[in-house]
Amino acid sequence: MTLQFINAEKRIHDFMIFPSFNLTVSFGKAVAIYSSVNVREQLMEVLLEKIRLSAGEVQIAGDSYNKSKQLLGFLFLNQGLYERLSIEEMIRFTKQLYTSKISIEDTMHAVQLHSKRKVKIKELSYSERRRMQLACLLMQNPSYYIFEEADQNMDLESKRIFLTILQGLKEQGKGVLILTGNMESAVTAADEVYRLDDNGLHSIQTRDAVEDQSAAEESSISAESVQPVRFEKIPSKVNDKIVLFDPPEIDYIESNEGQSFLHIKGESFSTNFTLNELEDRLLPFGFFRCHRSYIVNLQKVREVITWTRNSYSLVLDDMEKSTIPLSKTKMIELKEMLGL
Amino acid sequence: MMISLKRMNAILVKDFKDFSRNLAVSTVLILPIGLGIMYGQTGPNSIEANFLLINLAFVMVATFVQCCLIAEEKEKNTLRGLMLSPASTAEIIGGKCLLTFILTMLTVIITIFFTDYRPANLGVIAVAFILSALFYIAFGTLLGLFSKSVLEASVIVMPVVTVFSLGSFLPAIVDQYPIAKIGMYLPNIQLIELAVKVEAGGGFSNVLTELLIIFAWVVVLFLLTRVIYRKKMVD
Repeated sequence: MTLQFINAEKRIHDFMIFPSFNLTVSFGKAVAIYSSVNVREQLMEVLLEKIRLSAGEVQIAGDSYNKSKQLLGFLFLNQGLYERLSIEEMIRFTKQLYTSKISIEDTMHAVQLHSKRKVKIKELSYSERRRMQLACLLMQNPSYYIFEEADQNMDLESKRIFLTILQGLKEQGKGVLILTGNMESAVTAADEVYRLDDNGLHSIQTRDAVEDQSAAEESSISAESVQPVRFEKIPSKVNDKIVLFDPPEIDYIESNEGQSFLHIKGESFSTNFTLNELEDRLLPFGFFRCHRSYIVNLQKVREVITWTRNSYSLVLDDMEKSTIPLSKTKMIELKEMLGL
Repeated sequence: MMISLKRMNAILVKDFKDFSRNLAVSTVLILPIGLGIMYGQTGPNSIEANFLLINLAFVMVATFVQCCLIAEEKEKNTLRGLMLSPASTAEIIGGKCLLTFILTMLTVIITIFFTDYRPANLGVIAVAFILSALFYIAFGTLLGLFSKSVLEASVIVMPVVTVFSLGSFLPAIVDQYPIAKIGMYLPNIQLIELAVKVEAGGGFSNVLTELLIIFAWVVVLFLLTRVIYRKKMVD
């Protein structure tokens, strides 16, 4: 019982949107596709049957798409709500429309809108509307949930609610597909993250215990071979110049498509070092490998947010209040470092 | 295709709540009723004057409201959600038509009540009213398919309102301009002719032509709406 893309490929005239790829979303799994807006919109259109794939097909539960599209439920980025209805009326309407058996009370509690049940939708904030849409989707109770930019621009409270609900869906054995252009969101929410662009589909990371273990081993080796004197600055190439950054300046380092990027005061600079090399160099300066593709300057961390039992994020004290993901195994390490 | 009454009812209730809170659209109900009260104050009226109001009520409520209901679903991006739901097109449009039909009939009855128009043969008039309501609702649906927002809907509906309400004066100029004879077959004029015959003591058999012409309009509009819907929505 899976949602499958089989050799799915899309091109518009001569322009390749995405080349042929295979992807399976099975029950109890959350899969994220990290892509540009264009690719995301094309994928949504394909799933909605507005456009056809250039090649390949989408199958649901081994059946052709047409027969079982009722199994899909969508959370659109731009979804309309009946603004003059109250929250309770809107949910009740959805329940009747889908002849759903899910309790209205439970759903309102799940998205934490029960205290506002009589409030008209037009009076809600953006994040509350998104939660409202999520509530309607929960009432539909589909087998597969397709989230389009689910937590974009959401406030922290709503994001936490969203991730808790997502966890619940996975436990109920639903399939979840997240389409997003935000790496942090993809990594925090999903079990498997893929990047889809005109070069194809690439796995970005998996929360594999094995990999985490090997990463831990690597760090223990590097700890032994620390050299006392070392050139401390991190070079970065900007156009034709080489800029040297002091480690304390750096907010965090992100690895994207095999390239490391230093994030400093809201700007990003690429560097030729790999994350492992940078980790070795920066360990003495209070940097911490919080995720397979992230190194954070612990001096800049303001908050550690626990979304659910195994998804965490760090909020930095920089200008943008950036959030970066923290993997479960690293959370344990971090706790030890903090002496908790 | 099975039509689920439950779902249609849900859409009807939702649309009613939404409509009653949308003052920009729901206040049009006041217009024919308000005019009806004023007409009633000035003493007994001719059939033509009464039917000017009744036609106005039909076009303002049935056409305009139906058009706005559909246009708003498109404007607010809610139609996509409805189309993805198990509710079929027939249920979505049906729920809306039902709401507009009830509102139209209520408005017409209240207007008649105030203008002191008492039809001589209630049965014939009732059948004619129901057929007319269906025609105007089909027209509203058609216009709703063409308009993308409520604003556009209220502009697009204006010429229709003019033709079908002020059009009641057409018989007055038909001798002057022979070309206007074509206009005599419009359903609003046919409704007036029918009413005049009924007042003169006519029964079903006397007004069969008028009823058939109105019914033909309903069928034509219904088919046209269906074709346009296929073209506009299935893309």
